Amino acid sequence: MSEKAILFDATKCMGCRACQVACKGWNELPGEETSNRGTYENPPDLSTTTWLKMKFGEVSSNGSIATWLFTRRACMHCTDAACVKACPTKALYYHEMGFVAYNKDLCSGCGYCQEFCPFDVPRLASTKTDDGVLSKMDKCTFCADRVTRGEVPACVKTCPTGALVFDDRDRILEMADDRAAEVNGVVYGKDVVGGTHVIYVLDREVDPELHGLPKDPKVPALATAWKDILQPAGYVLGGVVALGLAMNYMVARARMVKEKEGR
Amino acid sequence: MQHEVERFRARSRWLHWAIVLASAALLLTGAFLYVDQWGIAAQDGWSRLIHRIMGVVFVGVPLLYFLITPGRTLAWIKEVFSWGRDDIEWLKAAPEYYFGGDESRMPPQPHMNSGQKMWALVAVVCGVGLAITGLIMWFFKGDVGPGVFQWSVFFHDVFVIAGGTMTLVHVYLGAVHPRMTESLKSMFTGKVSAEYAKSHYGKWYREVAGHKEVAQESPGAQSEA
Amino acid sequence: MTNHWCDIANADVVLIIGSNAAENHPISFKWITEAQLRGAKVIHVDPRFTRTSAKADIWAPIRSGTDIAFIGGMINWVLDDMEAHPENYNMEYVNQYTNAQLVINNGIKLPVDLDGVFSGLDEDARSYDKTTWKYADTTNPVADLNSDYSVFKLLKRHYSRYDPDTVSGITGMPKDKFLEICRTYAASGQKGKSGTIMYAMGTTQHTYGTQNIRAYAILQLLLGNIGVAGGGINALRGESNVQGSTDMCLLWHILPGYLAVPHHLDTDLDTYVANHAPGTITPVGLAGDKSSNWWSNYKKYIASLVAAWYGVLSAPDPALMDTRFNYLPKVKKGENYSHMRLFEKMNDGIIKGLMCWGQNPAVGGPMAGFERKALEKLDWLVCVDLWETETAAFWKPENPSRSKPTSEIDTEVWLLPACASYEKEGTITNSGRWAQYRYKAVDPPGEAEDDLWIVDKLVQKLKELYKADPDAPNRDAIIKLSWTHGADVDKVNREINGLDSNGKLVANFTKLKDDGTTSSGNWLYCDMYTEEEGNRAKWRDPVDHHPHQIGLYSNWAWCWPLNRRIIYNRASVDLDGKAWDEDQPVIEWRGGTWIGDVPDGGWPPINVAPVGSKYLPFIMKPEGVARIWGYGRADGPLPEVYEPWESPLDANLMSGTKNDPTCFLGEDRGDPGSPTSYPYVAMTYRVTEEWQAGQMTRNLPWLVELMPEMFVEIGEDLAEAKGIGNGHRVKVKSARGEIAAVAVVTKRLNKLPGKVGGKDIYHVGIPWHWGYTGLSTGASANILTPHVGDANTAIPEFKTFLCDVEKA
Repeated sequence: MSEKAILFDATKCMGCRACQVACKGWNELPGEETSNRGTYENPPDLSTTTWLKMKFGEVSSNGSIATWLFTRRACMHCTDAACVKACPTKALYYHEMGFVAYNKDLCSGCGYCQEFCPFDVPRLASTKTDDGVLSKMDKCTFCADRVTRGEVPACVKTCPTGALVFDDRDRILEMADDRAAEVNGVVYGKDVVGGTHVIYVLDREVDPELHGLPKDPKVPALATAWKDILQPAGYVLGGVVALGLAMNYMVARARMVKEKEGR
Repeated sequence: MQHEVERFRARSRWLHWAIVLASAALLLTGAFLYVDQWGIAAQDGWSRLIHRIMGVVFVGVPLLYFLITPGRTLAWIKEVFSWGRDDIEWLKAAPEYYFGGDESRMPPQPHMNSGQKMWALVAVVCGVGLAITGLIMWFFKGDVGPGVFQWSVFFHDVFVIAGGTMTLVHVYLGAVHPRMTESLKSMFTGKVSAEYAKSHYGKWYREVAGHKEVAQESPGAQSEA
Repeated sequence: MTNHWCDIANADVVLIIGSNAAENHPISFKWITEAQLRGAKVIHVDPRFTRTSAKADIWAPIRSGTDIAFIGGMINWVLDDMEAHPENYNMEYVNQYTNAQLVINNGIKLPVDLDGVFSGLDEDARSYDKTTWKYADTTNPVADLNSDYSVFKLLKRHYSRYDPDTVSGITGMPKDKFLEICRTYAASGQKGKSGTIMYAMGTTQHTYGTQNIRAYAILQLLLGNIGVAGGGINALRGESNVQGSTDMCLLWHILPGYLAVPHHLDTDLDTYVANHAPGTITPVGLAGDKSSNWWSNYKKYIASLVAAWYGVLSAPDPALMDTRFNYLPKVKKGENYSHMRLFEKMNDGIIKGLMCWGQNPAVGGPMAGFERKALEKLDWLVCVDLWETETAAFWKPENPSRSKPTSEIDTEVWLLPACASYEKEGTITNSGRWAQYRYKAVDPPGEAEDDLWIVDKLVQKLKELYKADPDAPNRDAIIKLSWTHGADVDKVNREINGLDSNGKLVANFTKLKDDGTTSSGNWLYCDMYTEEEGNRAKWRDPVDHHPHQIGLYSNWAWCWPLNRRIIYNRASVDLDGKAWDEDQPVIEWRGGTWIGDVPDGGWPPINVAPVGSKYLPFIMKPEGVARIWGYGRADGPLPEVYEPWESPLDANLMSGTKNDPTCFLGEDRGDPGSPTSYPYVAMTYRVTEEWQAGQMTRNLPWLVELMPEMFVEIGEDLAEAKGIGNGHRVKVKSARGEIAAVAVVTKRLNKLPGKVGGKDIYHVGIPWHWGYTGLSTGASANILTPHVGDANTAIPEFKTFLCDVEKA
């Protein structure tokens, strides 16, 4: 199966949030109890029952409204995903179509994925299940159950303006570049964290942070230090010490037996 | 019948075995998240529940011990952190001694020899480190920011690697090493033979034997090996 | 819509005014976005910066209720520019396809002459005598551009007062913004260019709402934008089937197919036709010399309607047709039976029963506190809905507007559970007039039944009761009602299309007879269901078969009239039948025939047709040309600026006449709030996430999650002055009542850039979705709105009234 990606073209998004509802619909996620906090934006944050949420950002110039930015907030499906690296149980993994999938059964609920994700996406919650109250991580699944059968993700399917497009990642990158050239915008996600599988075309050459996107997201250096250096070093150290002790045992025992015999 | 001296009081032995139990469980359940192939054992988070319960034991039992015998605990900690000329002598002599060399070359040791002190030091530092980083990950997730959390994860592993490796050494010396014949037994009964005491902890033995053949309430009485 | 949704993609300029298309018609933005991709400019004119503004190329803030000043200013700018650069405009279109050249009665006086009113006003009767508004020659008006009384000259004279400074002073819109819009939009006046105007309730819900739309029509006609691809005046319908229900006589004054409801003087069929069918007017001096006046078929359509309801005759029988015609319920001539009047009559105890079918006036009605109290006077109330509406629950303690305790309310209330659209089968007609068949997807829950089933049961029972009672009033009207279709949707579709005396489907409305030997439940739909092609509303061919692929998709569903996708399309070609826009022709005369869309009448182009048969393009108009000057409206032949009933100003800045002198005034409206007590301009609207009076969305957890609470939008500047923080609870008051809400403080609704009449104008935005039943409850905006409405339609003035706001 070829590598896929979702294109989010902020220049075409009008913030209708049909994607947000479609996500809940397809994935059978419950509505959350919310309140109006002085904004259209709701729920306040991503959660185990909100995998996709639209952010609204009012941008002003000289005190009056200049524009209203609508930004998609959901898993970016990184090529170098900190969550996959940090996941101790390998519940999170790379799907052959490029996105970051997870086997919820394997999830231990440690939450490392959430803490290491440069986009702060995965969420944990304790929920009642048939097996008791379990704490599990949830996030956008890329609608794996749809895309692996040739369908587009639910959010893409429902988008009225074509702000969301689903295709081969190569094609998506081409589209993004063309569109960015057309509207003098910028493409986000092409190269960061090895290339994401959600590619953004942003309204203008504004700080991506205005869209709530980190300027230079990275797999945290600590994750690499921890997973690629410290933990292997732990194995080595443990092994060397164990070996040393075994040697010590053999030598000490041999010498002591000899000594006894000598005595 | 061989003459015996009391080396560990019951309270210390209970402390030791409680920590052994907790550490073993913590190490095992922790290993589920360390060893890739074992991850499946952590699914649904039951191992985390055990890890947390044992974490409470691991932190709680020593704290309780401290509350019951604060003076002695502080004195013990002070001893663990006080290093001097004798320790250097020990360090010089130790390799030969532990590799089955001439026993007599080892200077006589107090209730807790330098090696045990070293172990105690690592155990205290790693134990405290594990407890702090563990508590952060348990209780302050989301409040401390991802940076602090990530450092906590990292240092939890640093401490577990350091502490775990030293635990290997400790278990080996306590239970396996051909020279430490009565060490493990003493952690159950509290007693060692006078001969064993004389040869392994000459300084301490002289101290106790100088009065009567019973363990004194010396600061070293809390030693864990 | 004159055009349709997909056609918006063809526009070169899109002017969205009185509409928040992105939020309330998200699907329209599929086509607006497509137009933008093809290089179109999108202009949004709205007091509030909305999600539509965020996507527009130009957003211009405007004081609510000043569309006529704004569009009038654009008309004035275009007229001036037309004089300076006629080459930039389609003068042939203006001269030949509109009544611009025709000469009007020289007794006409304009507001410039009469301080804000036209000649013929009877102030006490609040109505106009329209004699002086008509053509000088009422049957053969003469085209003479040089006459001082030509429409064009009158237009110029009238709108010369609407200069940019005056417009800016009334609307609060910065002058440079206004001029930028004039330049951008007038570019669509070029031959081969098109501009579309998209509007919704922000246009109509004013005391002069109809004139707002008339202003758009005049502008579009001057720019040659009617009938062409990417042009038109496009009413964005707020419900998927509003177009369909309007076609089928949702409104009180029309029968299906926009035939007039008979009044008490319409004693027989011929009198009715004489009273309502317009006579043909044939202009003299235009290239075209023949007016088809399609409404001359009026009798065929009313006769076929009567036949649909009371049976098709096998042979003509005029006497029987008159008898049957008189079965139809009649209104008293001159009497208004619109929403507000009905509630006044309920309040007066004259109307004793009410059926609320998919309607929720306790939330959606103006001055809802009054309307809720009026419900208390009813003997019985039947509500048919998916959920328990506020109207159905008006007697419950949750209703804060009751005048008496629940135990003292004697109204008997029935709530009939109805199906949702996915639970039943049938057609809907969208804004673009496409009738599309929908199939049932799931069974309805519980005892819910579809509307047709409910109506059928009701009619069967009524027939039974009327049969049993020989003294029942107008008994024959019920017992003789031909009810052969029962609850069979297919048979209803057939009856709507129409049948002949052999029971065969009538091919199209040109085949309908005026003697009762054919039936048609709605002449506009005659052609939807044919013997050869079956029910064309079921057609699903996603291929555009138009020779230039302008996005007609003519084999997808069916469109009235005659599957014509763009109406008035004969105005899209020149006198020779060549399309103004060669790249996007709607129709073209090629090789002696029309190709493309179904033409508005199949006659040859004006220059090709023989003398005496040169048909003018606007076939629904008696004079065959479009009306820049339109004397049919109640409040003037040209739109003139008036202030809303409740205005922040003390006077009309254009004239001495403050309000539309003929606007609808509810009898129980009370006094208007004064700007001193209620200094801010309030407007009600909808948001994407909720719908109408809310029952269909406030009960869905996914949508309640998105928009959980009643809120009001307040500008940062006003909030600061009032000490209101974002997310605080506030009270909003009008002369009618007070509501509580959460404040959404935003720079999207700051005060208008320009002062108006020396005042700063602050708007307060109030969504109207909430009420006291359902999963998410909250105060209803309509507690605040007034019982006044449009002069022509009596649509309530929901969009502009005065309020005050303070911290709760």
